[in-house]
Amino acid sequence: MKGLTRRLLVRLGTGLVMVWVVATFTFFLVHALPGNPGDAQYEQYLTQGMAPETARAKVAVIYGFTSHEPLLQQYTSYMWQLLQGNLGVSISYTGEPVVQVIRAALPWTLFPVLTGLVVSFLVGVTAGVVAAVRRSSRWGGLLSLSGSLVAGVPSFVLALLLAFLFHTLWQILPFGDTSDVTLEPGFNGPYIASVISHAVLPVATYALLSYGGWLLAMKSSVVSVLGDDFILASELRGITPLTRMRYIARNAILPLFTVLALSLGFMFGGSVLIEDIFDYPGLGNLLLKSIGARDYPLMGGAFLLITVAIVLANILAELLYSVIDPRVRR
Amino acid sequence: MTDTVQLTAERAEAAAEVSVRDLTVLYRTDQGELPAVAHADIDLPTGTITGLVGESGSGKSTLALSLMNAIPAPGRISSGSIQVNGVGDVTRLEGRALRRVRGRALGYVFQASQNSLNPLKTVGKQLLDLGRAHDVQDMRGLVRRARELADEMGMDGARVLDSYQHELSGGMRQRVGIVLALVLNARVLILDEPTTALDMLSQAAVLEIVRKVHRQEGLTTLVVTHDMGVVSEIADRLAVMYGGRIVEDGPATEVLQRPAHPYTRALIGATARITGDTDTARALPGRPPDLTTVPRTGCVFRERCPLAMDVCAETEPQLLTWAPDRRRACHADPATTAATGEGA
Ligand SMILES: Nc1ncnc2c1ncn2[C@@H]1O[C@H](COP(=O)(O)OP(=O)(O)OP(=O)(O)O)[C@@H](O)[C@H]1O
Ligand code: SF4
Ligand SMILES: [Mg+2]
Repeated sequence: MKGLTRRLLVRLGTGLVMVWVVATFTFFLVHALPGNPGDAQYEQYLTQGMAPETARAKVAVIYGFTSHEPLLQQYTSYMWQLLQGNLGVSISYTGEPVVQVIRAALPWTLFPVLTGLVVSFLVGVTAGVVAAVRRSSRWGGLLSLSGSLVAGVPSFVLALLLAFLFHTLWQILPFGDTSDVTLEPGFNGPYIASVISHAVLPVATYALLSYGGWLLAMKSSVVSVLGDDFILASELRGITPLTRMRYIARNAILPLFTVLALSLGFMFGGSVLIEDIFDYPGLGNLLLKSIGARDYPLMGGAFLLITVAIVLANILAELLYSVIDPRVRR
Repeated sequence: MTDTVQLTAERAEAAAEVSVRDLTVLYRTDQGELPAVAHADIDLPTGTITGLVGESGSGKSTLALSLMNAIPAPGRISSGSIQVNGVGDVTRLEGRALRRVRGRALGYVFQASQNSLNPLKTVGKQLLDLGRAHDVQDMRGLVRRARELADEMGMDGARVLDSYQHELSGGMRQRVGIVLALVLNARVLILDEPTTALDMLSQAAVLEIVRKVHRQEGLTTLVVTHDMGVVSEIADRLAVMYGGRIVEDGPATEVLQRPAHPYTRALIGATARITGDTDTARALPGRPPDLTTVPRTGCVFRERCPLAMDVCAETEPQLLTWAPDRRRACHADPATTAATGEGA
């Protein structure tokens, strides 16, 4: 158990460093930008006839610092705010704390991304096993081909294609927003049904996007395990085909867990494009809007959250890995 | 199954536990199907240890795997029979019947048995998988038997069953491989290169263990190796393979002292060189052939043979008895090979 704890601590440590780097980066980003947005805001308040003291205080609330202090002091005060979970106040959502804005958007990214990931992982991995075992047959070949094809399509093309087919052409699925706006949000049938049907297109896009990757990764992993000595050895001991299949699957899936964590990060990144295309108000959409509106506190918050998500996913993958692989458990 | 076991259980004295007849194994290559083993005839007499030697690529593993009817694609047994006492012709078995013979009648310790265990499961769990695969009713008995065997081989049985592969040393993995091969009371034990991956000390220990379990369990054992030293250590009988053919066999000490085939002589000479006995040392000239480079007509060894004659290029020599209990496949006069073989 000692080794695992140490590795988890290392992951946590590097994770914290990553978060710190991203936070520092956003801090300096705001500074490096032409016409420092904090200053611009301050000037704007002054022209609105505000007293310098009040204007400075307001800017400090938004960004966590003002440029009227020495740089180091600005930085420490920004970090101090951050440590207390204060990400500043959003500019485009006037007056709302960034934390709140993000908290509202987060579920709408988390839920489709995770669902898409789970679906594509299960389907892709199963298909990968079949494609590997039947790799010399026509069905196996077709399966692999489907994986390569889907894996090669850019995300926005896939999203647009799905939107065109299922919304515009066949008119089966709704599009835009998370549910029908006329419905009362809450735990009632029509609302939940509407949420689900609105989520189908983004979820399907996420799932299809990563399906090919899982299929191909699992296929090559299974093929390599099939060539492992212990599989032939177990065959020579007369182990049943079913048991051997289980040996193969469990050994083959191991390396995919590391990829699982990475791909969660990728999908969070991908949500920027996909949520934009489906006009789905999740975190990615928020990030895009905040960039458009030059809402730096919100931008920084979103970046930070995505970083934290990736760090957490890595730790989770490490835990999963150690549950399955006795070699790393020690 | 039990019926056939009882029917054939009463066998003649000194009968062969395994007899291979006219075995040919083909592998599909880009030059068509080529033989890795051609017309092999060999018996494993009950209760003996037979050593099967030859350079890399001579077809030793292929022959050994044939005994399990486990030639991997793109290979196949194209002709011949392999009679196993109490089982029948293994080459005719398939599906469940074949699976039951593997492990129950024939125990195989894999060439790379350093990695012959599922790395994600303890030895004990894999033992239970083995028991389930062979419908063992008394799992406790199975575990007890495994522990006994492990103890017999100088390991802590209980601890071994609780271990994962990565927690075992090379020598221990090899021994666990033997335990799993014998735990269902197989009568025939096949070891492919049992010492290759081990250091000298573990090599000696494993050989000692093989000798011990062979005697205690009353096994019939085949040891595949390219190491003449291993053979001279433990084998009662010796068979020499070259280019997919068995070129010589007989009692181990006799073959080692009086090799009757130029290849056997060269092999022994090459070993002497490695062990530093420079007076008798002689390099084995040329490289061992593979499927595509082995001569298709005449003697497979003729390109490296110091005694090669015209006839050797035209007619393939048959494996014939030339002295009591000794066979060789060579056109040259046995007296010639024996005489020139004196030095080795
Ligand atoms: N799957 C395969 N496909 C094609 N050719 C093969 C295959 N397996 C073995 N061969 C060929 O068959 C011949 C005999 O191989 P085999 O493994 O039986 O030799 P070996 O005597 O056990 O050698 P080694 O000492 O290297 O284990 C070699 O020429 C090898 O290249
Ligand atoms: S048959 Fe001819 S070539 Fe082959 S081993 Fe004998 S003498 Fe040499
Ligand atoms: Mg071999």
